[in-house]
Amino acid sequence: MQQAKDTHKVEQLVIATVAFFWCFLMWFSTAAFSPSIAAHYHLGIKELGLLASSAMWMAPGGRMAAGWAADRFGAPRAFALVLAACGVVSIASAFTTSYPLLFAERVVVAAAGVSFVIGIQHVAQWFEPHEIGTAEGLYAGTGNAGAGVGALLLPRIFGTSYQSAYLWMGVVALAIAGWYLIRGRAAQSVARQQTARGRSGWKSAAFVWSRYVAIALMLAYAMSFGLEIALNAWLPGYFARGFHAEVVALGFTGVAGMQIAAGTFAAVQSFTASLFRPFAGYMSDLFQRRGWTPLPFIARTLPYAPRLHWLGIALVLITLAMGGLTAAGLSGSLHASVATLVALGIFISFGTGGTFALVPLLFPDRPGIAAGFVGGLSTAGGIVYPLIFAAQSNIHGGYLRVALALFIPFVLFYFWAARHERHPEEHGVFFVPQAAPAE
Amino acid sequence: MHPTTSAPVRHEPWYRYGVAILCLEMLIATAVSVYSLYMTFHGLGGFPGGRLSG
Repeated sequence: MQQAKDTHKVEQLVIATVAFFWCFLMWFSTAAFSPSIAAHYHLGIKELGLLASSAMWMAPGGRMAAGWAADRFGAPRAFALVLAACGVVSIASAFTTSYPLLFAERVVVAAAGVSFVIGIQHVAQWFEPHEIGTAEGLYAGTGNAGAGVGALLLPRIFGTSYQSAYLWMGVVALAIAGWYLIRGRAAQSVARQQTARGRSGWKSAAFVWSRYVAIALMLAYAMSFGLEIALNAWLPGYFARGFHAEVVALGFTGVAGMQIAAGTFAAVQSFTASLFRPFAGYMSDLFQRRGWTPLPFIARTLPYAPRLHWLGIALVLITLAMGGLTAAGLSGSLHASVATLVALGIFISFGTGGTFALVPLLFPDRPGIAAGFVGGLSTAGGIVYPLIFAAQSNIHGGYLRVALALFIPFVLFYFWAARHERHPEEHGVFFVPQAAPAE
Repeated sequence: MHPTTSAPVRHEPWYRYGVAILCLEMLIATAVSVYSLYMTFHGLGGFPGGRLSG
């Protein structure tokens, strides 16, 4: 077996993490400058809302395609292509003077968010099963922080000159693309790379998409990352409306003051969910090392059974915290609500870290396709949950409604899909057991 | 007997540094959260402390 000897897996982890960090920075860089763009083009609230939502448009389908491309062409080529394309368009958007064209260019730049699954595939191709949780957690958690860092630093560095920011971000993206191409290696061994490439056909993709356990993991990620991005969009408005009197009592008056206080409570959720994610991957490794399998029904003898149990615990905690958030809101206690939100942020990180500590192990021959399916479709949660939150007669009631109507069925499905003691990936629709296609 | 409780795995040196980094990230998350919540609950400003605007 030919090994890639001119590099080390830590170098590959660093390259993937830096590239993903920058992609996340670009993904949310439109939002960071939306007040400046709105002022420059005299945008109304509807146009601003459309601009904000456009960041998510490419994620579901784009991530599935990106995962397939990573298996097919190798992560370095796929990642470099995403970086280069988004970088060039970002540079172009710095010189654009027409708003419709700028909008279209920023939608293309937001495609940088699809790179998540490419890096997941890359890390999975380099790290061993006993360390995959920590490695994927470090990659995803550190990279995710790019969104928060961008929101904090970009307006401080560039002020209202979004054009300069987009120009420099594009230039750096091109530099990272070159670095990835030169130093990136697709897999630890040629055999591993060729296996993924050989399983990158449409039939193989359909096989993954139709597996019950893959669907369960996709729903688990929708409960965690899907919820995280939904809350990012929903929470500032929730605190401003649901706790208006309490926030005013703290001394925050006017639109700007309310925005600061409500934004702070929302940001705490996002921050804890991102930066606790590596810990969640480490906990998955720890469960695996100690052989902890405390939950009923879920398989106990699979080689990765403890990781299934850790994710099961995370999903139960997320569901309970959603009920707690409604209870805290109905009690009228801002402190209790924020404390519950911090706990929810941590539980969300357990879910995101726990999910991607499992995906590469369940589908070791198709890591990109599996990551694309789980990480792509689940982002629809970011669109669906806020609609349910907003449809409730009581603004605090949406969390419990989502927990009862969606999360409890998702958790039950997860327990059901993860109960098989042998090869859970063989159970699904369309393909009979032992019919895994070898293309 | 559970096959999951197999022989103890010996981690490579990188793993120790990886765990140190994730602990540092958790510390940063906790510190920033506590600080910004303290600022906000005392009417002093927002994330990550200090009035961002207005």
